[in-house]
Amino acid sequence: MPVVQFAPFSSLVQPGFWHELTRLKIDVLRLSDESLTVSGSYSVGRSIRDRETGQDVALGCNLVLGAAAFEQPLQVPPMSVTMHGVFKNYNTVEEFKAADKATTFNNVANDIWQSIVESRDTSKLTQFLLLTFSDLKKYQYYYWFAFPAFVAKPAWEISTEGWRAADHELGASQLSSIFESLHAQTKPFFLVNLTGDTAEVHSIERADTYFASDAPDSTIVGFLDPSASPDNPGWPLRNLLMYLQTLYPSKTSSVRVLCWRDGELPVGGRSWKSRFGIVTGGAGQPNAKPTAVGWERHPATNKLAARMADLAPMMDPTRLVDQAV
Amino acid sequence: MHAIQQQYWAFRDYISPVLKESKFKEHGRITPEEFVAAGDFLTYKFPVWQWEKGDTSKARDYLPADKQYLVTRGVACLRRAQSLAYTDADEDAERLLSFDDSSSGLTDEWVETHAGRKGTVDSAANPGEIDDIPDLDGDHDQITTAMGNVSLTSSAGATMGETPDLDDIPDMEEEDLEAGDDEATAAPPPKAGVLSSGGVIDASQVEAAKGNLLQVRTYDVMITYDKYYQTPRIWLIGYDENRNPLTPAQIFQDVSADHALKTVTIEAFPHSTSLQAASVHPCKHASVMKKVIERMNTGVEEQLAARKKDGSSKDSNSKKKWAFGRKSSKEDSKDKNLATEEDEQPEAMRVDFYLVVFLKFIASIVPTIEVDSTTSF
Repeated sequence: MPVVQFAPFSSLVQPGFWHELTRLKIDVLRLSDESLTVSGSYSVGRSIRDRETGQDVALGCNLVLGAAAFEQPLQVPPMSVTMHGVFKNYNTVEEFKAADKATTFNNVANDIWQSIVESRDTSKLTQFLLLTFSDLKKYQYYYWFAFPAFVAKPAWEISTEGWRAADHELGASQLSSIFESLHAQTKPFFLVNLTGDTAEVHSIERADTYFASDAPDSTIVGFLDPSASPDNPGWPLRNLLMYLQTLYPSKTSSVRVLCWRDGELPVGGRSWKSRFGIVTGGAGQPNAKPTAVGWERHPATNKLAARMADLAPMMDPTRLVDQAV
Repeated sequence: MHAIQQQYWAFRDYISPVLKESKFKEHGRITPEEFVAAGDFLTYKFPVWQWEKGDTSKARDYLPADKQYLVTRGVACLRRAQSLAYTDADEDAERLLSFDDSSSGLTDEWVETHAGRKGTVDSAANPGEIDDIPDLDGDHDQITTAMGNVSLTSSAGATMGETPDLDDIPDMEEEDLEAGDDEATAAPPPKAGVLSSGGVIDASQVEAAKGNLLQVRTYDVMITYDKYYQTPRIWLIGYDENRNPLTPAQIFQDVSADHALKTVTIEAFPHSTSLQAASVHPCKHASVMKKVIERMNTGVEEQLAARKKDGSSKDSNSKKKWAFGRKSSKEDSKDKNLATEEDEQPEAMRVDFYLVVFLKFIASIVPTIEVDSTTSF
């Protein structure tokens, strides 16, 4: 059976974030390089239909940081969820390069691991790490994201049927009731309990109740999926599966997974975009903290490297004058 | 000079009075209240649009504090407008679309230009076609020059190395951070186009069939209320396929040739202290909107007249209705309004629809940016 391959997060930083960082750096942080908490958000994976070819084009699996990232709590629209991150800005490019990235990364991974084994809390399962260096005079911002996720050994596998459209498994009325519930209160992770034609959405923390029930097939593990790729569930599922495997080792040799991707109800004969699959895992409870991966690769080179946002064309007053007519 | 100009605009905006009376029918302009009503309708019907409060120090007091401007994020832009070079033949392909509005039973036609237009392979490969755009204003040379400037700017930008290559930043690669490849991480999609299953292709894949490179950009689109011109105003912030912010020259590639560098400029976004964004200048918005509204209303009046002839019309309802007083910002009252309107006779375009129509107009200026999410409308 094929190994489940998760679509990694891609960071999308709005110019507003860099403007806010510039303001903070000059007015508040100055030379401090303490870590701060920032918030980003991700929404259900989106695809749009190309009018010329009729194909659906998947848009990325984006974590978005905007101008409000330093505000707590972040306001997000329905079908989007907040993700917190550790933010560290370095004062010089040398410090940025020399930073002990492995340790910083492990600290975040440890935090996630603690939230699983100690507080049994899913709110910290997805976290990111953002390292930056801002060259304020040149309006250039160097940055590197990491999205720590635990590596399951052996890896999770998808049943031979693969990932299928969710309406193969669930009825339209069940999907609609999941939609209504998530639209009213969007959760990054949830449990779906099926009874007849209806589906109830519960928080993952109540897995005790539902995993213990007599009809294991009536319980589905769901998550808000930022990926739109048909065969790759999004990154958050990775830590969710690790959470379930660690806390409910006897119940999770096979997990029914719903990748929720419907931001709105399907209109005009379009089908549901959510995917469903049965994921099987290996041997029970890991004893120690598994290794974590998740540094973002540079999108142009696909290497593990920092990225740079060059905002000079949109921020440098002299450049703006040049193009003004 | 530009700075002085911007100061002047800010001052002019400050001293111009807030429009109090509705000029929606006569001039195509709207009051702030009507902007909020139309915005509420837009966000209600199309939840991808959201109200934003913006920077509180820049809040406009004639708008509610939490409804300063509208925003939708991550709007896809699959192709460059420049690649959509079109010819006289396309001009004939304009077709009337039925504009069917189910909530009030209003039906009207809409001209869709370039209906059967196919994207060309590359605008740089056939610049002659761009010159052939028939220009009604007669200043043919000006457009040609403007188009020339666009390509000059973008190519110069690339060669001058505006964005330092990664080679300039040594030692930024740290391949040893992670040991080997992780088998459970999805590989980045291949750059050459093998379609994956399910009929969904990834944004970075090449559209092999037509040799037409898909470079999916995304845009954050904002609609503000322009107090001086008394119309909505549209702002764009773009990202390339690698999610880097777009430069002005790159943004102009997504503006139709008739408008690039003429009506679209980079200016300070009014609800932020420092942000710059591309904006469509609103000086012609009111007159265009007026024409559109008149056109739609003529259609409605004709319908009403036809109905009168049949003798089936109820006198009380056959009068034109203008919903100027509709300032219902509360969702619950809106629900009720929508429900009752189903039963009403066809009425002329309500001010609520202003932004929906406005987006269709904007879509003609930025043809490849899918700002018009209202096609199901």
